[in-house]
Amino acid sequence: MTEELFIPESALIKKRSDEVISVRNLYKSFGKNKVLIDFSASLYAGENVVVLGKSGSGKSVLIKCNIGLIRPDQGSIEVLGKRILELEQDELDKIRAKVGFLFQSNALYDSMTVRENLEFQLRRHRIKISQQEVDELVKNTLEDVGLVHTIDMMPVELSGGMRKRIALARTLILKPEIILYDEPTTGLDPITGKGIIELMLAIQNKYKSSSIIISHDMNCVRMVSDRVIMLIDGACYAEGTYEEIIKMNDPKIKEFFE
Amino acid sequence: MVLPAKTARFFQETGDVAKFTGRFFSQWFRPRYEVTEFFRQCFVIGYKSLPLIGLTGFIMGLVLTMQLRPSLVEYGVESQLPAMVGIAIVREIGPVIMALIFAGKIGSSIGAELGSMKVTEQIDAMEVSGTNPFKYLVVTRVFAATMMLPVLVLLGDAISLYGSYLGVNIRGITSFRLYWAQIFDNLAFSDVIPAFIKTFFFGFAVGIIGSYKGFHSSKGTEGVGRSANSAVVVSSILIFIIDLIAVQITDLLGFN
Amino acid sequence: MNKKISTNIKLGIFVLSGMVFLILMLYMIGKNQNLFGSTFELKARFRNVQGLRPGNNIRYSGIQAGTVKKLNILNDTTIEVVMLVDLKMKDYIRKSAVASIGTDGLMGNKLVNINPSGEPGSLVEDGDVLSIRKPVNTDDLLETLANTNHDVAIIAAQLKITVQRINNSTAAWKILNDESLPQNIHSSVAQIRTATAKAVDMVNNLNTLVTGVKEGKGSLGAILRDTSFAHNLNEAILKIKNVSEDADSLTSELNKVVQQFRDESMNGSGTITALLKDSVMAKNVTKSLDNIQKGTEGFNEIMNAVKKNFLFRSYFRKREKQKRNESVQLPAIQ
Repeated sequence: MTEELFIPESALIKKRSDEVISVRNLYKSFGKNKVLIDFSASLYAGENVVVLGKSGSGKSVLIKCNIGLIRPDQGSIEVLGKRILELEQDELDKIRAKVGFLFQSNALYDSMTVRENLEFQLRRHRIKISQQEVDELVKNTLEDVGLVHTIDMMPVELSGGMRKRIALARTLILKPEIILYDEPTTGLDPITGKGIIELMLAIQNKYKSSSIIISHDMNCVRMVSDRVIMLIDGACYAEGTYEEIIKMNDPKIKEFFE
Repeated sequence: MVLPAKTARFFQETGDVAKFTGRFFSQWFRPRYEVTEFFRQCFVIGYKSLPLIGLTGFIMGLVLTMQLRPSLVEYGVESQLPAMVGIAIVREIGPVIMALIFAGKIGSSIGAELGSMKVTEQIDAMEVSGTNPFKYLVVTRVFAATMMLPVLVLLGDAISLYGSYLGVNIRGITSFRLYWAQIFDNLAFSDVIPAFIKTFFFGFAVGIIGSYKGFHSSKGTEGVGRSANSAVVVSSILIFIIDLIAVQITDLLGFN
Repeated sequence: MNKKISTNIKLGIFVLSGMVFLILMLYMIGKNQNLFGSTFELKARFRNVQGLRPGNNIRYSGIQAGTVKKLNILNDTTIEVVMLVDLKMKDYIRKSAVASIGTDGLMGNKLVNINPSGEPGSLVEDGDVLSIRKPVNTDDLLETLANTNHDVAIIAAQLKITVQRINNSTAAWKILNDESLPQNIHSSVAQIRTATAKAVDMVNNLNTLVTGVKEGKGSLGAILRDTSFAHNLNEAILKIKNVSEDADSLTSELNKVVQQFRDESMNGSGTITALLKDSVMAKNVTKSLDNIQKGTEGFNEIMNAVKKNFLFRSYFRKREKQKRNESVQLPAIQ
């Protein structure tokens, strides 16, 4: 165990001016199951952070806390300079418009066509927008993910990879400053998964957004990550670039790379 | 005090449903109002259920008439057949049977739809996209079910009475005017109004239970199936309980 | 967008048709309960309403005319039925109309029948209380019927006894079988009639006489004007009356005798028959009878005249008329 890597977060992570998400001392438990114990981390503008952890280790909970879907028991979360736990619904919605979230299961609305899925997102957040603008935005975003031809299809008619891309398009249509990816490649074959990862990077380039990516797909971590956070036992166990992490000798970290 | 696990779960769930209902009302009054979605749900819940309700209503009226005839003939009061069928359908059988059919169709569909939305994170997605999913999904559906079931029951009653008219005419000849007049001669406001009012509660029960079960669906496809199933079961039982309460209230108020 | 509009149209039609049926249903019921349209109130007070309820029908001569609005208990024996009656009926129902509680069919609902009584009366007004006919209660009906049956049974038993008695009694049969009896009765009655007729004539004559006297014509008139004489005359008349009554009874006695004669002559035995067989004797008897009859006639005449005297004026006028029309009967006095 390398002592210098086991970091007391609050001491180490200093407030930087380009910090877009800052999570401090987060606690969350479901019944007797303690998921997050004194977790702290930051996301800086323009970087891709990958959170690595076992299933059920609380990765999804962590990013859902960031967008107000799950309320932590304790701790503070700042997103784009706003303490979201103390925000009113209206202001929270404004923050949410700037934060995209790609769900693990895509969460496309089954009862709506692809177009309606994308429009729904737009209409909800920006109430005053002309139909022409909406049409244009929808088309442009679908072009970004390369699926313009599916515009009038229902989600059930699409393959898994296509659905993931539509879900990504739905997230992108609001041009978010931050994108939270919840296991983007899970459930996809490696080739399709690779396609998604490439798309993510392309978007990163185009929109200059910062992202938190939850994954345990090593390909994904390697290709995308600027920084890796190891979520073990409910806390930020280790932090560093992919190369730094794989070189670590800690047995709990080594488990992931075998 | 330690309650048996099942009992505790029952009370827990009852409390949850009550809280859910309270949440419905607190959200219902507050803007923003999801008017478009409400009308869409009215169309789905109301209009699209009409064929089913109409068919069952028609068969029910016809069968009830044919089943009642022999015993009425035995007592020599065959001419009272329309009056009897009319009161039976309008007062009790129409609202309850149609509410049960409604629970089977709408309760399960709401339970399954919301359940699968919950499981596939669509509800979360909705929340992220600046929509209050409770308002958008639950309030609209519950309110639509509350408003549509009375309309369905009214139309179902009409169809059912027509079925009964055909039933009367299988073995006898009664003009439609006479049949109609006989039915309304024997109906009073005290027959129609309480029956009409209780259908709102039936609709509300179906909507709220379906939504609750869906909204609190456990993960996985099995959870969705279970919530759809228990939505139907619980709302059917609730319909009978409400019916029991309704008859006691109307009795207390002296409408019987 | 088009799809949305069409679904909205469908939804609108669906909801509207439901509402239309509800309103139609409520309207039909309301129409039956006379909640819409103009009505007026009539009342009737019953001792027992036999389960009548608000909402029950009112029939005027069998036509649906309204419904029962409410029942008020006025006191322990009076229940007031307030009826809502169609305003159209106001032109036909009279104050003399009679209300009663009946049943629709043998087992149907109770209803109030209003029937015209046939007596004249002005048209009803709002709030009038109609008179009632005691409602025909099935129980009462059966009870009365039982009483009647009982009475009929008693009468029949007594009738049976009577008939048996008649059948057993020979005397009664004899009376019924005797042919001569009615003949005799008939003839005696005829005689009494002739006697009476003659007496009437007699009285008439006397009357004319008296009239003349009252007019004061002749010496007799002067005499009669003397009050003391008038008093005496009155007394005399009373006596005459008595005599005439005696004569009446005499006549009936005679009649009996005559009857006896006849009976016995038929039998052809007894003393009277013997007497009658003597023709001289028979002639004498006849003569004496004749005399008696004449005497009676005279008395009767006088009596009648005196009687008419008290109705002096009218009789006088009548007489005057008669004088003009008929031939003069008593020239001596005139």
